[in-house]
Amino acid sequence: MVKVTIRNLTKRYGRFIAVDKLNLEVPNKSLVVLLGPTGAGKTTTLKCIAGVLAPDEGEILFDDEPITAIPPWERNVALFFQTYALYPHLSVYDNIAYPLKERGLSKPEIDRRVKEVAEKLRISHLLDRKDPSTLSGGEMQRVALARTLVREPKVFLLDEPISNLDAKLREEMIYEFKRLCRELQQTIIYATPDYLEALAVGEKIAVIKDGKVIQYGTPQEIYYHPVNKFVATFVGSPPINIIEGNLRIENESIIFQEGGITIDLSDIAGDWVNRLSGDKVALAIRPEEIIISRERQADALRAKALVAEPLGHETIVLCDAGGNEIRVLVKGFINVRYGEEVWLKINKQRIHIIDPKTEEVVL
Amino acid sequence: MAITSRMVRRRSPVKRALLYLAVIVVCIVFIFPIFWMIATAFKTRAQAFSWPPLFIWEPTSRNFIDIFLKRQTEIEAITGWELELATGAEIFFYNSAIVTSGSIILALIIGTLAAYSFSRYRPRGTDTLMFFILSTRMLPAIVVAIPIYFFYKALGLYSTHIGLILLYTMFNLPFAVWMMKSFFDEIPRDIEQAAMVDGTRPIKIFYKIALPQVVVGLAATVGFLIINVWNEFLFAMLLTERSVRTVPVAIASTRGEVGINWGLIAALETLYVLPAIILIFLLQKYLLRGMTFGTVRGV
Repeated sequence: MVKVTIRNLTKRYGRFIAVDKLNLEVPNKSLVVLLGPTGAGKTTTLKCIAGVLAPDEGEILFDDEPITAIPPWERNVALFFQTYALYPHLSVYDNIAYPLKERGLSKPEIDRRVKEVAEKLRISHLLDRKDPSTLSGGEMQRVALARTLVREPKVFLLDEPISNLDAKLREEMIYEFKRLCRELQQTIIYATPDYLEALAVGEKIAVIKDGKVIQYGTPQEIYYHPVNKFVATFVGSPPINIIEGNLRIENESIIFQEGGITIDLSDIAGDWVNRLSGDKVALAIRPEEIIISRERQADALRAKALVAEPLGHETIVLCDAGGNEIRVLVKGFINVRYGEEVWLKINKQRIHIIDPKTEEVVL
Repeated sequence: MAITSRMVRRRSPVKRALLYLAVIVVCIVFIFPIFWMIATAFKTRAQAFSWPPLFIWEPTSRNFIDIFLKRQTEIEAITGWELELATGAEIFFYNSAIVTSGSIILALIIGTLAAYSFSRYRPRGTDTLMFFILSTRMLPAIVVAIPIYFFYKALGLYSTHIGLILLYTMFNLPFAVWMMKSFFDEIPRDIEQAAMVDGTRPIKIFYKIALPQVVVGLAATVGFLIINVWNEFLFAMLLTERSVRTVPVAIASTRGEVGINWGLIAALETLYVLPAIILIFLLQKYLLRGMTFGTVRGV
């Protein structure tokens, strides 16, 4: 229930820089997702907020008050550990009750809250288990989650909290996190390497790479307006199509050319042309922004269909357009013959232009 | 294990017989001295010296009674000298027990705390300090024997329980620190960090969260330290007179006198090795872990 501000946070392990001058502001009562690949610095950032790791530089503020000097046992934050970190010598019940006991709550109150959270996470039947190391991965994760959610801290820090749960429970937990934030007005910082989870959970997403925040915005902003090639490729599945080629001006129109592909980009001409560092550009087009058809279309690319990968509600079709692999997402089931001629019509308003040198998205 | 037992079952009877024969031979080589010691303890003086050696005899408990009840021997009666005989042996066992438990409790408390701080807080120069601690054990004990004898005489620690306890604590500390550190290094830090976030202070984390996770390590360390101290001879010999004498020294002193009573010595030895044997049986799975510095999994 506080606003969390991170200023220039830096944490090194020997020569390796885990977090590199990271800045982030998490508004009060919001749910922010740290999205990034393994080793991006998500866990280190959360541990610095919790206070179990001391930052090398920078500071962390709760409601504009610096807390760097406050030891973790007085910070009143709840941290879910990716490794679960269950107390191996305590029973499941005592594991969940532990943080409440440490805060000196009365026995009946502890009992009520432990049972309530166990009910919610469907682990009531496990409460009597003496040795948590005999639980399955998913059960351990739920016990660890219960130990985190049983508290009422200033901020919840969740490090990949649902990675090991089955699909149904994952969905319920996503709903539960949103409810915690909206109804109970909690501040939650949530780390995950899974962009689908990030889009589903987050009100805002901070994309992190190499210990830096690359982009911070709403799920829509992250998905539709990635700031660079990394964000564009990391978010989205099937992955965004990237075609690198040359740009030239011909009779006042802007033409993109690569191998057998020629695309007239005059419709979306703009300021971005001047911001390029050279003639080379990369086009990035999401698979769902391409329409595939068997009939010849005006202003469409000729391609050969290679394979179709049906997913149920949609199908991914892999095509070869002048030597470039392009993935197209089609609603429902579709069959293609290998080598069949198809036409790809690109929604030009949705094309992103990437400067290959800086990897920045200029449009 | 399942694979090995299947392999044994598939062997031909001849091979199996040979295998058992080898096992029996090895067992005899190792166990016979212990058997002979125990046998001698239950023999009279004449039986102990009889040739050919007696394998069947009527056991006597005389020796066990004699080592505890001080009786005047014939030689003492004639000469009036008090001989260094192993009579009134309860004092030696008492000394050994006091010295062993005292030094182990001290070494364990100091060693565990030091190991935990080295493992978790890694103070500047941890590696150098750890090596330094180990290096104190590299010098052969005999090298420092004479200086320590003079120190102890000068400090009034000669032939005192506290003197031996301090000395053995010093000898055992490197062992305790190294062993316990390896066990602490093995337990994941996340669990202690979780306790911090859950509101626990460092001292309480040490004894409520970290310590319960290394009980196996504690047991292994205790086992090794007991064996070290219980068997120590050199300094116990050098630094004690009869009132503080430990069992191994008492056994050795008994020997050199006129008319050796092997039965008495064997009885004393039997009682002396008994606690060690019981301990090793009780702690064997922990001792195995300790020997490999905690790397044996799933015991």
